[in-house]
Amino acid sequence: MSAETAGVTIWRCTNCGGGFFPEPLLCPRCHGPAFTMDTVHEGVVEEISVIRHMLGQENWQPRRIASVRTADGPLMTVGLRDESGPGARIELFQEGEAPFGRAKTRQA
Amino acid sequence: MFQNAAIIGVGQSAYTRRPEPGQTALTFMRDAVVAALKDAEVDASDIQGMAVASFSMAPDAAVDLAWKLGLSLRWLVQDTNGGSSAVSMLGHALRTVESGYATPILLIGGDATGLAGYAKVAANFNTVTQKHLAPLGHGGPNGVYALVAARQMKKYGLEKSDYGHIAVSQRKWAAGNPNAVYRTPMTMEEYLAAPMVADPLSRYDCVPVIAGAQAIVVGRSEQAPKSRPPVRVRAIRHSFNHDHQQGDGLQTGISAFADELWRMAGVQPADIDLASIYDDYPTMVLAQINDLRLIPGNDIAKFCRTVIANRTLPINTWGGMLSAGQPGGHAGGMNGISEAVLQLQGRADARQVKDAELAVVTGYGMTMYRYGGTAGAAILVRGS
Repeated sequence: MSAETAGVTIWRCTNCGGGFFPEPLLCPRCHGPAFTMDTVHEGVVEEISVIRHMLGQENWQPRRIASVRTADGPLMTVGLRDESGPGARIELFQEGEAPFGRAKTRQA
Repeated sequence: MFQNAAIIGVGQSAYTRRPEPGQTALTFMRDAVVAALKDAEVDASDIQGMAVASFSMAPDAAVDLAWKLGLSLRWLVQDTNGGSSAVSMLGHALRTVESGYATPILLIGGDATGLAGYAKVAANFNTVTQKHLAPLGHGGPNGVYALVAARQMKKYGLEKSDYGHIAVSQRKWAAGNPNAVYRTPMTMEEYLAAPMVADPLSRYDCVPVIAGAQAIVVGRSEQAPKSRPPVRVRAIRHSFNHDHQQGDGLQTGISAFADELWRMAGVQPADIDLASIYDDYPTMVLAQINDLRLIPGNDIAKFCRTVIANRTLPINTWGGMLSAGQPGGHAGGMNGISEAVLQLQGRADARQVKDAELAVVTGYGMTMYRYGGTAGAAILVRGS
């Protein structure tokens, strides 16, 4: 397992300021070619699912995933590390390049 | 309307959950090709063009398949658009035949990944999936469309049983299709009692992975067998990356061209006699039907409980992939087109829709991140 880092990296267009995830090559809004990396730290859970079966996997333990509207940018799919449900505000972190979330432990 | 080009033959291999030793994607595709050429009454030596789509051909490419099929060609395409590949390839072929460059053209889709192979495809579908989804244990497309389904249920007030109407209705149609892998009727109670796979999707919301192949022959209408009418295409449209994955996934790329599709076809949604809608998940069947303007007032719940439950509009009369099986999205989408052809020619046997003259077919695929990014649709009409 990769080390956990706070927030999730997004890419912000240096021309129009739009934030994107995953990384684009050209901005889908203005087609600008340059981006700076930014970090989004929280979002709101919109939908969740519990993955109860995984094709080709034995002894699979159910995992939770969520569609999250981030506070400062794009929609993303994250792995949920707790029982947060729709409407919950969560903090975001990443392991390697994979985004995860859990209930906020302190007020921003 | 294409003036010269038409669909002149269709064929499929056997469909099976568990291939026998020696059966591969290529052997299934060969069987489908043989069936389609026979149906079209075309000699293999007359084929001038070929298009193929498959997840399980690698490391072979389209030209390897042409070589192994003994085809010398002047037009060759390998399509990579998953569930919309069949509509994509159909469009390429129609335009090529219409231009006079090559005819007849063979379209082929087929897969035999097996469950383990499919799991590898799902986890490595693209670099975004490899980096940002698979490490979550997202469950492949089941997890992606579970989130879309949850969103759709919330937005349109759908119950789980609304998806059940699709699964149950298509299973009824499958009873009349000897090639479907699941033909035993299913009740709503059985649908609702099935185990969850990825909430809210349960077993019968997920297509069974099978091995098999489909083929279609496109040619000039005068190349069609004289014993039956060719099937013409009034209009065909495609969409790729319609919203940059920044929408809610409940509008497919079909929404980008539906009005133009109907206008070019010169017919209205209400004129349609049957529909072949790409059914990787019931959720996406409803999204595509809604995008096609077939649901009055976007009242999806009412449509499920009346039109689909009562089979007022015949949808996926071959049983769809949910019952017939999904031999990869490429062939699965092609089966929907083939079924429409059989229906329009009065060759659908026990599942024949009376007086079928006009059909709509769709394709949808390539789950790039949060939902599919490719789509296509065509309006097919019985020729004279």
